[in-house]
Order: sequence, then C-alpha cells, then structure tokens
Amino acid sequence: MNMLPHSRRRFLQTTAGLLGAASCSWLPQLAAAAGSDPNRKRSCILLWMAGGPTQTDTFDMKPGHANGGEFKETETNVPGLRFSEHFAGLAKQADQLAIMRGMSTREGDHLRGTYLMHTGQRPGGPLNYPSIGASLSKAMQHNQSTLPNYVAVNPSGLLNGTALSPGFLGPRYAAATVGTRGTPPGEGSDAMADLGVDFLSLPPGINTKRQDARLALWKDQQNQFLARHPSGAAEAQATIFQSAVKMMHPDAASAFDLSQESTEVRESYGRGTFGQGCLIARRLVERDVPFVEVTLGGNGLGWDTHQGNFPTVERLSKELDQGWSTLMHELGERGLLESTTICWMGEFGRTPNINGTAGRDHFPDAWTCVLAGGGIAGGQAYGKTDEAGREVTEGKTEVQDLLATLCRAVGVDPATEHYSPQARPIKISEGKSIDQVLA
Amino acid sequence: MLRIAHVSASCVLLLLLAWTTALQAQDITPDVPDETAKMQAMAARIDALVQARLDREKVITAPLATDGEFIRRAYLDLVGNIPTVAQTRAYLDNDAPDKREQLIAQLLKSPAYPTHLANTWRALVLEPSDDPQRLQNEQGLQIWLRGKFSQNVRYDRLVEEFLTATQGSDGPGYFYASQDLKPEMLASETSRIFLGLQLECAQCHDHPFDRWKQHDFWGLAAFFAQLERPANDNLVGLGRFDIVDRDMGEVTIPETDEVVPPAFPGSNANYASFGGTRRQQLAIWMVSRDNPFMPRRAVNWAWAHMMGRGIVHPADDMSPQNTPSHPELLDELTDYFIKSGFDLQLLLQTIAITDTYARSSEGVADSEAPPELFARMAVKSLTPEQLYDAFLKVGLLKSDVTMMQQDGQRIQFVARLRTASKDRTFFDTGMPQALAVMNGPPVSTATSPETSGLLKALSAPFLSDEQRLNVLFLAAYSRPPNVDELQRYQDFLQQAEADQQSAALGDVLWVLANSAEFMLNH
Repeated sequence: MNMLPHSRRRFLQTTAGLLGAASCSWLPQLAAAAGSDPNRKRSCILLWMAGGPTQTDTFDMKPGHANGGEFKETETNVPGLRFSEHFAGLAKQADQLAIMRGMSTREGDHLRGTYLMHTGQRPGGPLNYPSIGASLSKAMQHNQSTLPNYVAVNPSGLLNGTALSPGFLGPRYAAATVGTRGTPPGEGSDAMADLGVDFLSLPPGINTKRQDARLALWKDQQNQFLARHPSGAAEAQATIFQSAVKMMHPDAASAFDLSQESTEVRESYGRGTFGQGCLIARRLVERDVPFVEVTLGGNGLGWDTHQGNFPTVERLSKELDQGWSTLMHELGERGLLESTTICWMGEFGRTPNINGTAGRDHFPDAWTCVLAGGGIAGGQAYGKTDEAGREVTEGKTEVQDLLATLCRAVGVDPATEHYSPQARPIKISEGKSIDQVLA
Repeated sequence: MLRIAHVSASCVLLLLLAWTTALQAQDITPDVPDETAKMQAMAARIDALVQARLDREKVITAPLATDGEFIRRAYLDLVGNIPTVAQTRAYLDNDAPDKREQLIAQLLKSPAYPTHLANTWRALVLEPSDDPQRLQNEQGLQIWLRGKFSQNVRYDRLVEEFLTATQGSDGPGYFYASQDLKPEMLASETSRIFLGLQLECAQCHDHPFDRWKQHDFWGLAAFFAQLERPANDNLVGLGRFDIVDRDMGEVTIPETDEVVPPAFPGSNANYASFGGTRRQQLAIWMVSRDNPFMPRRAVNWAWAHMMGRGIVHPADDMSPQNTPSHPELLDELTDYFIKSGFDLQLLLQTIAITDTYARSSEGVADSEAPPELFARMAVKSLTPEQLYDAFLKVGLLKSDVTMMQQDGQRIQFVARLRTASKDRTFFDTGMPQALAVMNGPPVSTATSPETSGLLKALSAPFLSDEQRLNVLFLAAYSRPPNVDELQRYQDFLQQAEADQQSAALGDVLWVLANSAEFMLNH
C-alpha cells in the first residue's frame, strides 16, 4: 500500500465533518452525483451464498477431471481466466474480479461456518463477536444518518442470528433487515420479488398528517425531558428514535422502494429476491450506506446441494450472474464501482468429488471466495488447488486473511480495535491482508 | 410535590382501572422491631457515607425525587414494571411520613418481586439466545430462580445449590448446558457471576494489569473438570440437563501438557482439605463467611441493580484495578449482608429506603458530578422485558398467554431489543429496533382505540379532556401533566374532530410511550 491512499483517507476523515451535510443527503440528484464526489467514502457489498456454494462448478473448475462435473468453462475478458459457462455476465467483467481459489477453513457445519466467515472467529469462545458487516460499518464511519449503516437483504431465516449479530458491539450496529413482504415466491418462481424493511411503514390507520402531528408533540416531550435529565441514556434514546423517524421520511424510505425503478432496470437484475436485493444494494450505496449484505439461497440453504447438484447450481448461478453483473455494471455507470468493494462467499465450499446422489457435500479444506470492484486488483485468480481440487497448493488463505484484505480494500485498517464488554480491545481481523489482490 | 385535583369522575375511573392488579396497601407491623431498627440504622449509615464523600468533593446533591418519580422507579427496580394509575394515585394520596418505606415493604411482598428478580438473574447467568431449545432452558432456570427468591432462600445457599447442581435439578443444569460443560467456560462464568472476577483474560496469558495469573484461571477451571452427562440422560421434551461428578478428569494449560490442580483464586487454602466432589469443594470455599469475593460481589450487584452503577464499576469486574468509589460503604454493607444471614431481600430493602436511592435523577448543577458520587439517581434503560410489559400495562392490554414467558410476541420483541451491554445506564439500541417500537406491536395496539383498554376506558362520556390527560400521564409517567403539557395537549385534543377524540388520545399515548421519559427508569 503506497502512501497516497493513506493520506487521502486521513484527509477524508478530517474533512468529513464539514462535508457531512452533502454526504448524508439522499436527494436523487445528489445520489446520482455521488460517484463524482471526490470525498466519497467506500462501501462494501457482501454477496452471501447460503448453504455453501460449490467451487468446482463455479469459479475453480476442473475440466477433464472426474470431479469436473457437467458444466463447461467459459473464456472471459481476461485472457486465461476462466470460470463457469453460467456466468455470462461476469465473464465480461472478469477484469474486476479477484478469484480467491486458496480458501481453506476449518468449519464444515452451516451454523459454525456462517459464524466463522462472518466474524473470522470459530464459534464457542467466551465472546460474541460482531459480524464483519457490523464491525466494518462501524469502522468506516460514514456520515449519513438517515439510513442504517448495515443493511441485510433477505438473510437466511435459519442463520439470521448468527450471520448478522452485532455481537459485543451491541444493537446499535445490528443489521437492519430487508425481507420479502407478503408470501415469498417459491424457489425458482418467476414473480417479481417484493422486498421491504420491517416496520418502516406507519401502522394501519395512521396517515402522514397524523404522524406529523404526533412527531410535533413528541419533539416537545423529548426536549423537556432531555433538558432536565442530561444523561447518556436519554440522549441516546432521543438520537436513535430521531434517526428512525428520519428513516421513515419518504425521501429516506424511498431507498427501499423499488417501484421507483423502471421495469427494465428491475428486470435487468432478475426478478428474484437476490436480483431485487442487488438493486436495493445499489440504491443504498448511492445513498452512502457503508455495508450491505445480499443473500442468495436464503429460503432454506439454497447452495447446500447434497443431491442433484447440477440443476440447482445452474439455476442459482444464472440468478447470481444476472444480479451481480448488473450490479457491477450499474455501479460502474455511476462511477461508484471504484469505491465499492464486493465480496462473494458462503459458509464453506463443497467436495470436489461427486457423491452417489449427484451431489456435493460440505468441504472447508479448499474452496473459493471472490473479491471484486473497488480497492481490488481484478482480473486474476489468487491461489490454486490441485488437479482434483482436494488441496490448496498455492496461496492458502485463511478467513482472517480474507477479512483483512476486505478491510484494506475498503480503506479500513484490519487492526482497528473495538472494545468488548470486558473492555478488552479486539481487532476487526488478526489476519494479514493479501497485497497481491489489492489495487 | 405535584397533586391531582380530585373530582368524582376520576374516582369512577379509579374503579374502572382497579382490576389491573392493584396491590392492597398493607399495614406494615414488623414482627421484630429490632430488625427494622437495624435496617433503618444501616440505611442512615449508607446515606451518611455517601454524603461524606459528596461533602468532601463539594458536590451539590439532587433533591429528593417527587412521589411520582419515586413510585415509578421503585416499581421498575423491585417488581419490574410501571405502576397502574390506581397504584400511583394511592401513593400520591398517602400522607404518611414513612410512605416510601411502606411502599418498598409492600413491593417486596408482591409476587412480582421474585419474578422480576428471577428475570434479572436469569439474564445475568445466561447469554440470551434465539434458539428455541435454549429459550426453554432460560425459562427453566427462571422458574428455579423464582422459587428460590419467592422463599427468600439465603443467598449463600442459593450459590451452593447452583454450584453443586446434579441430577433432577432443572434450573442450574441449564447453565451448565449453556456452557457445554466446558471447565474453562464454567470457571470464567461462575467467577464473573458469583465472585465478580473476570479471570478469562488469564485463560491465555497472565493478566497484564491484574494480579490473576494463568494458573489462577486454570486452577479454578479444574473444579469443573470432572463433569459429565449421565449415560441414562434423556432429553425428551423439556431440555432437562442432568450432570454427574466423576472422580477423574483434569485441565491442562493449552498447548502444554501441564496439568493444573484445583486452586482457589487468591487463596492458599488447600482444596483437598474439604470433602466431597470438586464442585462441592469449590462451593464450601465460596460460601464460607470469610470468602473475600462472594458476599462483596452480591452487595455490589444489589447496589448496581438499584443505583444503576456498582460501588465497584463495572459491577461484575471487581478486580483490584477497579477500586470502589466508597470502600467503607462496601465493607460495611458486606458485613451487614453476612450478619443478616445473606438476606438478599433485606439488602435490597435497605438500599431502597435510603435517601440516596430516593434522589431525583434531574441534573442540578451546570457541571456534571461524576456518576460514582451518586449525587443524583442514574437514568437507566428498561430491559426489553420491562419495556414490553410496560407497553402492555400503559395500554391496559392483556396478554392472551397466561405465562408471559411464552408470549410469542413478547419473545420476538425481547429478542429484537436485546442489548449487548449489561450497563443499564446505556441506552443500547439501533434504528431498526426503534422502528419496530414506534410502528409495531405492542405500541400500535396499545395506542389504537380498537385495541387499547386504556383508550376504551377513557371514552366514557362524562370525562373532561383534562381528566383524560391526567389518566394518560399517570399511566405512562406516574405523574400528572404539568401546566405546559396540559395546555399543549388540550389544544391538540380540541383540534380533533368529534369522532376522532379517541384516536387523538391514542396519538397522545403514542407520544408518551415513545418518549425518553417513558422508556427510561429515572
């Protein structure tokens, strides 16, 4: 890492306060101009693959080997970098991707793997560690205050608690959840997903006029108590509830309102919860939200293909490709891709060998994650597995190193310390960033 | 002190509201006047010691709280919920000079007292969880604790039972289950909960500031090294968790072969001189009258529970570098607690009748006195459970479920608002949680004319707006509205259409329910 980005970051931090008014605005025209804002802070989008995606049928294929499976490789816009034929969109943007083929971890259980990949820590210790979304969004110190700093779209119902926990950082850093409203469309359904934030709308029977009247009275009530009871608790209550009120303001709430996008745009992301979630991620990044997590396969554990691996992976791959590639394309168009880092991962990989039911089982020994976009030196594969895909032969990467690299990519020192309830300083990641994949 | 204008209509209303579990005011005639005198003497001594430090530091103290402030605080701290309108009125109308003391004695007799204490201790003992099995375990432990607190079992006895739980003991077993029977986790948690010692940093290395060494930690862990689940263990249904003590099993320092024998932290006493299983040996040491940690920790817990902050802070980290704000007070209260026969209820009662506890939480000076001087009452957050129950109470909503702990909506609410910090002087929540409070149940149902019991009661045609506002404020804040508030809200109600009166009152209740004054204990 050279000195320039460092000093620039410091400049950003010192001027951030002065520029707060501009950078926390969610007015559409300013959002569109966000990309050209030289003081823009970085954002991170985590694409979470619930169930554990197979590396052999996605980004680390083994053509010609018995483990190779049914899919073919495709050429990409980076000579020599090849991956699954079902990633047609990503193949045109491979120059943005750093494919981490040397992932090697030690948790092969969904819950434990989810915790490990989100926190960098194996579960069971004395501390509840925060998920990377909570600790990074805290460390990134964005100035926007109308939207939550950590938003999770369609998280897996099964793993919600583990995956999104703010741990010892407390609920202030918890993810705001965007979920499917109404009856969720079935797996593989063709209906347009309807996503929204819990409790963002007024309860039935309360219109905006009544709400405004309530809030006018509420403000007086708050001020009276605060003036006479100066205290941390009262100030925090007032600030947080005021932020929630701001978030309900139509301008802020509209970040989650996909009906404001044209049908063409919505279609281009794919109609499912993942595609629509990627579109929400784009809208949130435009509004300066630091961390967004979008889950694919969250209705159950989609990527958990113990049986009938290939049709499922083909369907998920196409859904992933459409949402992800459109997201990168649209962020790029807005000049936001260079300040937005994308991380693709699941709880572990899957066995290179195909089992008796045409499936692949849990496999944390040698698997793949992908880093993309801002701060990442794309167009490369880092790390290698052997011919059969059983072992990492080069560039073995532990979760702590992956998270440290992600931190660096978004301009955060992985050694940034947060305090546990016992007032013990805990680093975001103890790992060493992999400079080869950093831009 | 503020007083309510009495009119016959509000008396009718009082009857209307009387079904909400009004506690009968009882005459307190102590069987042993000597005991009461001792308690009062100790309370006076507490006030004197706190005052002495305030005088030394030349700090102005806050005046005593108003009656409304006091009753709300005492209810929240001792029985876990806000008082009803009728309970508040009875207290405001009581002219007895010792009415504070009467109220405290009455609250400690309420069945809600052991429930609240059990809830508080359950949260202290078990990390919260969303897992249904663990939730069931939480309830099991809560029921066990409630049984102990309702009989006011000696605290040393409770600790001993907790430490030596084996088979058929449904409560503490869950604690062992939650720690997966791991010696290091059991050592770290029991020392935090019952000794106020945070030894876990010494798990991996000698503590940099503290006197605890890695051997202290593993020496304590060794007392939990011989546990296992019985072979006949049967996990049908209730998540019951039996434990047996074996006569084998040791701990070693990680990544070495060094076996660490059992040893009491900070003590040279030989464990082998006590009989019984390892855990019994630990229990004998912990509950002995001269144990340097256990009774002090209990006293510090009780003080922190009532005052929002321990004499040693944080309350569960009584290591030597965290010096007590009032060393003499901690010593004398500990001595008092031991001599009383480890009577936790008496300890809470003694603190509750002090003037120190009865101070207003209002800021009095331009410069804030450090919180450890206790110049004014701390402003504390309600626990998620308290908040949910208070919303139910203010809206006169009845839970459909007899066992509150099994109310699905309550479980969801509590899980959503759960805090990481154990320090209740923080308000530890986020925007998504605030949205859920403002726009979701139970606030939405408590403030809607169709569902709110309070709004229904207030729709009686003979009530004036002033009377209605009076009830709303008493229900939410345990005080009548002040002049400004009365004016503001009367104006608001007058603007509402005739058929929207109840809805407008619902708006007022919504404002009060979402305010800092309601959501905090002050």
